[in-house]
Amino acid sequence: MLLFYQVLDGLVSGSIYAALALAIVLAYRATGVINFAQGQMAVFSAYLAWSLTTIGLPVWLAIAGALLLSVVVGAFLERVVMRRFESAEPLVGIVVSIGLFISVNGLVSLIWGTSLTQFPAVFPAGSIELGDVGITYVALGTVVVLLLVIAALQLLFMRTRLGLGFRAVAVNPESSSLSGLPVGLLLMTGWGLAAALGALAGTLVAPALYLQPGMMDMVLIYALAAAVLGGLDSPFGAVVAAWLIGVVENLAGTFIPAIGNDLKIAVPLVLMCLVLFFRPQGLFGRVEVERV
Amino acid sequence: MSSLGTSRPMTGLPRWARLTATALLVVAVVSLPLNASPFVNLQLSIVLATAVALLGLDVLTGWTGQVSLGQSAFYGIGAYAVAVCTARGWPLLVGLAVTVLIAGLVGAIIAIPAVRLRGYALSMVTLALPVVAVPLAKRLDGLTGGSPGLATRTVSAPEWSGLDNDQWRFLVIALISAAVFLLVRNVLKGRHGRALATIRSSEVLATAMGIPVQRYKVGAFVVAAACGGVGGGLYVVAVQFISPETLIVTFSISLLAVLVIGGLRSTLGPLLGAAFYVLVPNVTGAVDAGQSYLLYGLCVLLVMFLLPGGLASAVHRVLAGAARVLPGSRPAVPDLPSQHPIPAPPLPEREVR
Repeated sequence: MLLFYQVLDGLVSGSIYAALALAIVLAYRATGVINFAQGQMAVFSAYLAWSLTTIGLPVWLAIAGALLLSVVVGAFLERVVMRRFESAEPLVGIVVSIGLFISVNGLVSLIWGTSLTQFPAVFPAGSIELGDVGITYVALGTVVVLLLVIAALQLLFMRTRLGLGFRAVAVNPESSSLSGLPVGLLLMTGWGLAAALGALAGTLVAPALYLQPGMMDMVLIYALAAAVLGGLDSPFGAVVAAWLIGVVENLAGTFIPAIGNDLKIAVPLVLMCLVLFFRPQGLFGRVEVERV
Repeated sequence: MSSLGTSRPMTGLPRWARLTATALLVVAVVSLPLNASPFVNLQLSIVLATAVALLGLDVLTGWTGQVSLGQSAFYGIGAYAVAVCTARGWPLLVGLAVTVLIAGLVGAIIAIPAVRLRGYALSMVTLALPVVAVPLAKRLDGLTGGSPGLATRTVSAPEWSGLDNDQWRFLVIALISAAVFLLVRNVLKGRHGRALATIRSSEVLATAMGIPVQRYKVGAFVVAAACGGVGGGLYVVAVQFISPETLIVTFSISLLAVLVIGGLRSTLGPLLGAAFYVLVPNVTGAVDAGQSYLLYGLCVLLVMFLLPGGLASAVHRVLAGAARVLPGSRPAVPDLPSQHPIPAPPLPEREVR
């Protein structure tokens, strides 16, 4: 029974890592840059949602509003900041995203302060009884929301013209541009969608963690690990890897006393190193072919 | 060979100008601590310590093209090694030797799996280092003093010098930093630097040219780790204290950022980057303490917008201008490195599905 609850807990935290990892993968597919600021942008969105609740909106409406605003913020950052560096060395892109990370963190502290803020509960308290196990609504809701997101993304990418455009731009921006796709607009939308996914991660995690400028820092590390482990350009891989990381970490922290709570983060990272050693392209990534 | 990215700031200048500049620099560094407050000396000491760590990162990331987010772990290894050794009363040089050994060994062990990886996979593996190092440092409290940290007396000014401790420490740190910079610069000047630059532009090409790619990559890791360790050791010399919080991931990420801000593959780059890292927060804090972090982030973005080649590229441009004007200059080299960034590694071919 303890095992069951630990796996469930792992899936719940894994779902939150997955939402942010999906955001990182989407932004990466759009612009080829790993956005280190993704977690910090999620914090910004979570605070936005909180501000919307303070003016009297119900929490679900506030989150929806924050998601929409995040799309605008993400698209804006892509157009105004990131666009200039997309053709530069990848390292420059990384550093620009680090600059964004610091700036957004500073902005959040400036607007909302650095003290802990309570975020209203998204899901009702209590749990649903299935036979002799109880699953809390929070756990159930988090996992279900993530599954819905995956389904929506799948529909978007595979069944819509917009999704087709995204995939085309991700594979070959130049040819896409020559075939008349609005590449710039698609990149902006890609970053906007990524920001919305990050916002979802932020608002899902906020009730448990309290709002504070650094609340996504650890989640970002897990999400980065999940994105890379999954293969970086594979949304499906990112989700599977995130769940794997959540579960493995929780089990190791609980059942191996020598690891305990402080070192449990090492377990998924070591696992990631091992997997990458044998599959450098990640679990579901494509092998990179170099042309000489 | 400048087309391969060797960018030494003073190459274009006539000999007399180079010698004068070097002499002025030495005089400035030696006389600087005599007129500065202990706080300024401490800050400058930390700049130099950070610069040494950045120099190592530059060898790995700038020269070899392996993006590492683990430098703070090696910084921590060095800091703890020196702190533990000096706390036992051993001389500083023994502590630094132990640092180079341990950090280099860990670097070599990390390099073995890491050389198989590219790009972001490598960054993530190296990112794991500081994430694991912080709880480890807290766990090994018998050695490291645990969460509260470890205080130690590293070096004190000898009687005959008539100097204060902060002045003496700055000079010791400056001497060791200069030695490390000269050593690394000279190693990179010749065929080793060209080999690393070739690996960066294309590993396939490097292999075809007979460069032992794996061996060079492991070597770059070891140099990066050892320099990171020495940098951390020098930090302890300056601050006399180390705690696990010093090695956190965000420090690693900041190191990578300020390396690019300072300028890749340039002797000046690590120094300017370190100065940016240590001094700019002081300035932004003075402007407005409440918004210091925001201003710092905006400074990072500003530098990248205005000088994508880093702060060093601006200095290089000025010096290149000077080289054209000063008497006795060699004819201007047409492809100055600052105007000729190394082409980015070829983009991976993507499969069309």
